Amino acid sequence: MFNSSFSSGNLSYSERLKRINYFIILLILILFSFGLLALYSVADGNFNSWPKNHLYRFLIGLLLIFFLCMVDIKIIFKFAYPIFFLNILVLALIPFIGTETFGATRWIKIAGISLQPSEFVKYTLILALAKYYHNIQDTNINSLSKLFIPTVLILIPTIIVFIQPDLGTALVIAIGSFSIFWVAGLSYRYFITGGILGLLSIPVAWQFLREYQKERVFTFFNPERDPLGNGYHILQSKIALGSGGFFGKGYLDGTQSHLNFLPEMHNDFIFTMFGEEFGFLGSVFLIIIYLIIILLSFRMAITSKSLFSRFLSIGVTFVFSLYVLINISMVMGLIPVVGVPLPFLSYGGSSTLAIMGGFGLLMNCHIHQRTTLEKGDFF
Amino acid sequence: MFDKKKYISKSENTDTNISRRTLLLSIGVSGVFALMTSRLAYLQLYRHKDYKSLSDENRITHRLIQPSRGVIFDTQGKAIAKNIESYHASIILEEVADINKALASLNQVLPEKKIDINKTIKKIKKSKKFVPVQIIDNLSWDEFAKLNSNLYQLKGVFPAMGYKRFYPQKESHAHLLGYISDISKEEYKDNPFSKLNNAKSGKIGIEKSLDRELRGRLGSKSIEINAFGREIRELKRIEGEVGQNIQLTIDSDVQNFCFDLLKGLSGSVSVMDINTGNYIALASAPSFDPNKFSDGISSSDWQDLINNKYKPLINKSISSFYPPGSTIKPLVALAALEKGISPNETFSCSGKHEVEDTSLESGIKNFHCWKKDGHGDVNMNEAIKVSCDVYFYHIARRVGIDKIAEVCRRFGLGNEVFDLFYEEQSGIVPDKKWKQATLGKKWLIGETLVSAIGQSYFLSTSSQLTLAFAQIVNGGKKIKPNIIYEDDKKDVKIPTLLAAQSHLKILMKALDDATNESGGTSYRSRILGDKKMAGKTGTSQVRVISEKEREDGIIKNKDLPWNKRDHGLYVGYGPSDKPKYAVSVIVEHGGSGSRSAAPIASKIFKFLFRKKMDIKRSIIINV
Repeated sequence: MFNSSFSSGNLSYSERLKRINYFIILLILILFSFGLLALYSVADGNFNSWPKNHLYRFLIGLLLIFFLCMVDIKIIFKFAYPIFFLNILVLALIPFIGTETFGATRWIKIAGISLQPSEFVKYTLILALAKYYHNIQDTNINSLSKLFIPTVLILIPTIIVFIQPDLGTALVIAIGSFSIFWVAGLSYRYFITGGILGLLSIPVAWQFLREYQKERVFTFFNPERDPLGNGYHILQSKIALGSGGFFGKGYLDGTQSHLNFLPEMHNDFIFTMFGEEFGFLGSVFLIIIYLIIILLSFRMAITSKSLFSRFLSIGVTFVFSLYVLINISMVMGLIPVVGVPLPFLSYGGSSTLAIMGGFGLLMNCHIHQRTTLEKGDFF
Repeated sequence: MFDKKKYISKSENTDTNISRRTLLLSIGVSGVFALMTSRLAYLQLYRHKDYKSLSDENRITHRLIQPSRGVIFDTQGKAIAKNIESYHASIILEEVADINKALASLNQVLPEKKIDINKTIKKIKKSKKFVPVQIIDNLSWDEFAKLNSNLYQLKGVFPAMGYKRFYPQKESHAHLLGYISDISKEEYKDNPFSKLNNAKSGKIGIEKSLDRELRGRLGSKSIEINAFGREIRELKRIEGEVGQNIQLTIDSDVQNFCFDLLKGLSGSVSVMDINTGNYIALASAPSFDPNKFSDGISSSDWQDLINNKYKPLINKSISSFYPPGSTIKPLVALAALEKGISPNETFSCSGKHEVEDTSLESGIKNFHCWKKDGHGDVNMNEAIKVSCDVYFYHIARRVGIDKIAEVCRRFGLGNEVFDLFYEEQSGIVPDKKWKQATLGKKWLIGETLVSAIGQSYFLSTSSQLTLAFAQIVNGGKKIKPNIIYEDDKKDVKIPTLLAAQSHLKILMKALDDATNESGGTSYRSRILGDKKMAGKTGTSQVRVISEKEREDGIIKNKDLPWNKRDHGLYVGYGPSDKPKYAVSVIVEHGGSGSRSAAPIASKIFKFLFRKKMDIKRSIIINV
């Protein structure tokens, strides 16, 4: 089907297709099917609203994965910085050309499709940082001067997103990028001092939080503070999960969700609905699939030859883990509500595309695990 | 070479370093996953029961179902308190496009019911937007029809139907039946219906005393609701019990007739069938329209009712007591007979009776007869017929107050007639013990004398007097008075006899003469024809007449202010030869009994003699 004339770089297209890790694709498909089921339940048995759109987005996402698999890693490596800066540019332009929803300006309309550049910047930042540390592999990365550029690279998107305001995404961007520092081998000292500085900066960061964000944090520490306001959602979410029990209330029979006691069921709180209807059994099954995907991805990451692809794979995997961990912890009342979707289940176009794009990059690294990369320039 | 080696070793070092750090990262992530899973287990397994009940509390609410109130029937089977459809207009906020416009056009359609738009909007906004809010109550049928035909321009407004209590006989049965209105705070604890939004309870009369039976038992339903409180579906329903229907012994025709006779007067009438003990009428005037309470009485109407000096809210047949006056005399005479005084013994009446009284300057206290010049020599029959006070002063001194009181109590005075009404009063039958206990004073001989003519501390209700007379003329059989119709009891007990037949015959003859023989106090009100009435008048003073006034001439009733005038009483029975009914009439401050009360009684007897009494039982049985 694919002959060598279609090949690019060292690998032919058919070889690339062959090297894709189809087991992970299968796991993703399973997760997505659960998402579709859950959204169908959220929509009270109406396929044409959320489930249908979710399906379209997922199909586009699959195309994106396969497209990214077909691209030579050298090209991705080459354009890592430009892609990141283009993303930053669009992000920076949002206040002027974006659309406002619920008091936050996060979206930009391109050809009639609303996209959220902040979802993509989580991955493009990883791309840029991976390239940076690939380039400086021969030098002492622990010197402070070498730390300056990546810090700036991280701060730019984090600050822009933070003032949008979108605390959850800003956190994922920042924490996600630390994984590159970690695997690049930055001294533990930095992580310890960073941690201390981070704790010390909380009072300062607090000043910059919006009122509603402060409320959420207050509510997290004392949900009974406002049982009908901010605490209501988290309390109802816990009730929904808890009342699900071991086997759940049964598909389409979740009372908390179908009687509208849950907020944002199609989005951030979809795990709650899933947990109510499918119980502990279903939820743990879901969590295990996520964990398998993550562990497989980490294993795939360290088999790559080039540092760029290792860093990239690990960063992408870690960002994916953050999505899952933050979302599920949030709906179970372990951390404050920050607004992070659950991959493949939540109904969100940009996040689905970004996450699947991330898996595209991961697969690309996996396919090109034996390709070595020279240190590159800016272009 | 060295360089290369160094490069390779560094690369290898980096390789293991990356692998190690990735492993640590995986372990870290897995650790957090484990933490998450244990949290999930805590919520879904360990705390499952708690959250399950919280979830049920969330979604299930209980609504009470109000049963329909029992209907009250009269003895003919006519409904005298029933539930009728009431019409009102409701609005559902979420179905209205523009609330101001909707209410304005409602005002156009029903200009008579002009609603205050701002106030109404405030009221509507208080409820959830999908809950119908009643905005106009008590629409007439015409208004309701008008509303229905104009619905096309009143989007969001709905005609609705409910039930309200209706009393077709209005004023005439008001005291007897009572009325219902909002449950008061004091009733909250005992009345389960207080949990309902709009429930009412009986306030006086039968509606109050039989409220428990009439209201039935609440049902309930469990409803699943969503987070906004909207009803989704019914989960469970426990049916209540409709209120019991009740049939009274009251005949609404007789009741209406009696009530009409009291028009313009303040007073009461009670009528009893002496063979069954059933009260056929218990009328009280003036009255009020109980339907006003069903609609929610206006505060000005309520003020009028409670400030009215004729006390329209009081049931005067059971709750107002009066000195029985001369109507007590047959019972005093009975006491004398039982003490062995011969009915033929005569006493001389010179218009007054003198009693030694050392506290007075003259040493003598005069007790007057109502007839200034006296009746001459009178025996018992004559004394009752002409109502000679002096005769009774004489026999009372011989009999003593305790014997008189005993006879009066035996015939039902001083006790509640019905063991039913909250507002019923028992009156007073005084004797020595009673005075010592209540006033802490010794009984005076003069008080025995005035008690014998039904004054001093004596107080009775009209229903008591009816009962007492009924037991005199039914052959002395003790009566169990009824107001609630009961089917004839199967085990007919041998009646308790209250007095000797020979004594009662003497009394009946005297009572007959008092009405049907020339010179009798109620001769003017006698009924001509086969069926006659017989009975005793009474005129009870409410003021003390001084010696000076007696010399100057007693002021006539019509020259006194209303509340100083005498009460007029008449208690009688009929037909005189074969008694069937007992009637008592009391006209408050109506002047003498023979002029005010006896004529009314006469009309009532004529009506009773003509009327065909029929009892329909079958209708009222609860379906």
